[in-house]
Amino acid sequence: MGRHVHTAGLAVAAADPVRPSRPGWWRQALALTGKDIRAELRTRVAMSAVGVFTFAALMLLAIATEQLRDAQAVRQTVVYGLLDRQSVAVTGADLRPAWDAVGKMGLLWVLLSFAAFSGLSHSFVHEEETGTVTALRLSAPAGAIYAGKLLFNLLLLFAIAAVVTPVYMLITGMPAGTPGVLALLMLGGCGGLAATATIVAALAARAGSGGALYGALGLPLLVVFLLLLLNAASGLYTVDASVVRIIRDVGGLFSYDVLIVAVSALTFQYVWEE
Amino acid sequence: MDTRVELELREVSHRFGLRAVFENVCGTACGAQTLVVAGANGSGKSTLLRIAAGLLAPSSGRALFRWNGQELDAVARREHLGYVAPDLMLYRELSAAENLLFFASLRGISPSREELISMLAEVGLKGRGRDLVGAYSSGMRQRLKYAFALLARPPVLILDEPTANLDDAGVEIVRRIIDDQRVKGGITLIATNEARETAWGDTCIRLGSQ
Amino acid sequence: MMTTTSTPPASSPSGRKTAPIQGAWWKFVLVGALMCYVIYGAFFIAGGAVGFGHSGDPARIVFFHVPVAVLSYVCYAVGAVYGVLFLRRGKPLDDVKSASSLELGFVFCILATITGSIFAGVQWGQYWNWDPRETSIAIMLLLYASYLVLRSALADNVAHRGRLSAVYVLVALVPATFLIWVVPRIPYVQSLHPQNVIANPSNTSPSYKAVLFPSFLAFTMLYVWLLQVRVRFIQLSERRASRRAEQRGQ
Repeated sequence: MGRHVHTAGLAVAAADPVRPSRPGWWRQALALTGKDIRAELRTRVAMSAVGVFTFAALMLLAIATEQLRDAQAVRQTVVYGLLDRQSVAVTGADLRPAWDAVGKMGLLWVLLSFAAFSGLSHSFVHEEETGTVTALRLSAPAGAIYAGKLLFNLLLLFAIAAVVTPVYMLITGMPAGTPGVLALLMLGGCGGLAATATIVAALAARAGSGGALYGALGLPLLVVFLLLLLNAASGLYTVDASVVRIIRDVGGLFSYDVLIVAVSALTFQYVWEE
Repeated sequence: MDTRVELELREVSHRFGLRAVFENVCGTACGAQTLVVAGANGSGKSTLLRIAAGLLAPSSGRALFRWNGQELDAVARREHLGYVAPDLMLYRELSAAENLLFFASLRGISPSREELISMLAEVGLKGRGRDLVGAYSSGMRQRLKYAFALLARPPVLILDEPTANLDDAGVEIVRRIIDDQRVKGGITLIATNEARETAWGDTCIRLGSQ
Repeated sequence: MMTTTSTPPASSPSGRKTAPIQGAWWKFVLVGALMCYVIYGAFFIAGGAVGFGHSGDPARIVFFHVPVAVLSYVCYAVGAVYGVLFLRRGKPLDDVKSASSLELGFVFCILATITGSIFAGVQWGQYWNWDPRETSIAIMLLLYASYLVLRSALADNVAHRGRLSAVYVLVALVPATFLIWVVPRIPYVQSLHPQNVIANPSNTSPSYKAVLFPSFLAFTMLYVWLLQVRVRFIQLSERRASRRAEQRGQ
């Protein structure tokens, strides 16, 4: 209309220098992740909880499996010794290693699952407990919130896995297999774990019960995930595994991740809004 | 004015479980009006405000929000309103300035340092921008909530217990904000028990049994 | 200046009467009669299954085990469907139906696990083998149990209970779906267990079919009927609770 009315804030959005149009959800998600990281580095709550838990668990693991690792070393010597002298036929059950590579991978992921379910709830439970949920709801749509929290949990889990895995491999002697496939496996595994942990954290935070409920709800969801992961791991440790097989197994793992994220993204608004 | 905002409460009822809080509440507010919701403790004032802000879906009835003639749903309207309430909290582990910058970035605003300083000065927190909110007194937190609500200069202000925890200077700031809102042609929705604040309104909705 | 609105105190959420269950009588009779036939038939009509030890007699448990196992997956699917309906429409009845279906599914799943374990023990000497089917049913049991844990933790948080339960069912639907279609086919799971033949009655003699199909029908009808009864029970107890709250209010 050409008439300039001095009503700051009520003028059409695009013309107002203070209030441009709303940013995309991706920007908002990144802003939220950045805020969470900054707050986390300052207070170090989740990091220290998870860190202490994980290293205590590693220590327990080292102590508990000492016998197992010794038995395995002995058995390997025996096996090599027998083969050397090409003597007595041994049944299949005796030659099988006491604790094979896939078993070790399984235990690593049990460890990471427990680590995840001790620390990844912080992102949502903290918001709920300190009452900052309302401010967030007023400022960004549910989808952006979910994406931001998922990204934060993913980064946290990557950091934990990056530290824990080498230490674990040292303690238990878990082989690396094909490094590229191992990296993919860890990526897919962390993705599925973080995705499950995030949506369950949102549920548990809303339910108001925090800790115990969080673990009880989340770990059952991980059983199937673990099976898929171990299946991919057995492909990783097979000598000369075909590429098709690896793609199928690791792809199966990633498809699970994608499905969990998809369902979570679709249903998160029902958890977040009232 | 170029834009119009309208708030309409159409037979809004809400119940928690089996207990009905209020039923068939009606009211309207257009630009430059201040609507006050009054009532005893537990009469549902906060609940009604949350419904108006789109934070809560009413059991029945509708709270309509029209911006430029266009009806906005519960999520879309939050872009255009500022909300202050006792249960609204900001991040205690961040400083006031960091809080404002974060929420501004979520709304797509990147205020400069000068703008931040003036925002804080407007609510009487000049020079306290670097302090962590966890170290603030309750009165200072209340003032920061106003800075948060006013970030995008919204056409609608929803204030639940506007002067809670505030000293006389703080009350004066709130009165000025509400006056500014009226001058700009925006709506203010207030929930209160205090007679002084009830007097600020043009129309009043009273909740609770007579 | 004054616009006054007063609020009358609590009124009951639904004053309408709930109709009696449709055709309750004949359902009761039909299900009862059919189930009696199945029980009788399992022991006297069907011949022993070919290819199993002990002249195939322990395999008779299959008439009860298979329908119940299938139902434990079906109940979950039904629960998920009502969960979606509840999220979309917000009708409390959908939430009640979803929860009831999942409760019944839990019972069926326990029965399936126990009957399967008994069969494995009698037939092959080991009560638990970690073969794909057994693993799947055990995981299903775990998923049901965790749902019930969530539900009971939210018992007093009725405002959120329906939505959170529905979301959890849908998220858990991903592993549940993988259980049905993917897990039995993963090489890793198949190799978990040495070599046990998965009971697959491809030996469908006429006498076998004469009992197996009615058995499916009987258990399915039992499920539908139990679901209706359970939903009605919840509706009535909620109505009674709201009446009590009303009286207390006055």
